[in-house]
Amino acid sequence: MSLVTTPVGLDSAPPPGAPAESGTSTSARPPAETGRSRSALVLRLVGAVALVGVVATVWLGLWVTPPDQFMGNLVRLLYLHPSIAWVMYVAYGVAFLSSLLYLWPRTRSLRWDKLAGASSEVGVVFTGLTLVTGSIWGRPTWGAWWTWDPLLTTTALLFVLYLGYLAVRRIPGDSEVRARRSAIAALIAFVDVPICYFSVLWWRSLHQAPSVDDPVNGKTYIHGSMAWTLLLSFVSFTLVYVWLLVHRYRLFGLAEREEGEGLALAIEERRAESQVPSR
Amino acid sequence: MTVTAPAVPSTLSPAGAAARAASSRRTRRRLWVVAFVLAAALGFLLYKALTSAIVYFKTANEAVAARAQLGTSTFQLEGVVVPGTVQRRGADVLDFTIESGGVKVPVHNSGAPPQLFQANVPVVLVGHFVGSSDTFSSDQILVKHSNAYIAAHPNRVKGPTGKVVK
Repeated sequence: MSLVTTPVGLDSAPPPGAPAESGTSTSARPPAETGRSRSALVLRLVGAVALVGVVATVWLGLWVTPPDQFMGNLVRLLYLHPSIAWVMYVAYGVAFLSSLLYLWPRTRSLRWDKLAGASSEVGVVFTGLTLVTGSIWGRPTWGAWWTWDPLLTTTALLFVLYLGYLAVRRIPGDSEVRARRSAIAALIAFVDVPICYFSVLWWRSLHQAPSVDDPVNGKTYIHGSMAWTLLLSFVSFTLVYVWLLVHRYRLFGLAEREEGEGLALAIEERRAESQVPSR
Repeated sequence: MTVTAPAVPSTLSPAGAAARAASSRRTRRRLWVVAFVLAAALGFLLYKALTSAIVYFKTANEAVAARAQLGTSTFQLEGVVVPGTVQRRGADVLDFTIESGGVKVPVHNSGAPPQLFQANVPVVLVGHFVGSSDTFSSDQILVKHSNAYIAAHPNRVKGPTGKVVK
């Protein structure tokens, strides 16, 4: 079974009943396959650029940029923590939109369900990383690993809500029922996302407001090379997100395909069994 | 002709059906445990969000205004450390004064202050008023920092607030 031999793009998995492409000769590829290999190339490129970007961010963040006037070298977590939190918001935003698109009758497709699942899963990982990096930054700067500040509390809430969403996705059922149930859960969980983002503006908190384009007065308060490094880290981590998202989405497709093939195999064996004359 | 047990996929044989039922029971039990843990965490976080997070701290002037109500209950107090008031009273014991909205509150803190603790920075203190006095006894100092990041410049003199004035 050649499930993982050909690197494929976003919509890689053919329906279980489709003719297998493994039999086709290598010289004359069907058009669908060349398109697929092109998207695989793009995905690899995204992965490579993301890796280079993260490495460059680390280099700039640790060696090139100056220490901050107030925080000293502790400022270097600026190139890690905000961009990870940003990816968290993007991931939940994508999950929200694709869940809406699933629920909207005209655009209903299980692809949106898979995309929402893949994006939330990446989002949960990045929420965990946001909490961990924030805690590591908070200990030396604020003086505490954790405090029940509105932003921190709502972020922890996000983590639990989306873990709940992922659990809901695993409740057995017909795929359409499961998709609708998950989409509704995703919409409910998303309520906390704007609350989390705006909490530093709505309520008193220990956590500072966003530095880039501060919504209160629309200014950015970051010095030259620090700002560029921050921007690079945002771009790099966004690419990491895209790369992870597409791979996770493909895994959903492959798992589905395996399930389908497994069922076909089981039916075949059951048939073969009935051929055996019984006593 | 002897018939040996056919190689049936375990999921389709009667024994497989029993195993499947047992495993689905196990899955269901595990789902309930997960649901319970998540619901408990959710409830706890919502409780925290509605109690401590909504009003994370009181400023010094608000706390003094509500002095009678607050009694000796524990809360978070915010203010800027007044320069020249920080005095070490011993290992990890500090006295200083914070100010907010023109109202000053003397603070007695026990516990190591964070490394960024200094005059002129806003701090959040966890503690309570002492007796009926206006002195605040804290056991945790949290340093608030702004969202501005400015390169430390060895040739530039720090402003009084630790920031470079534009």
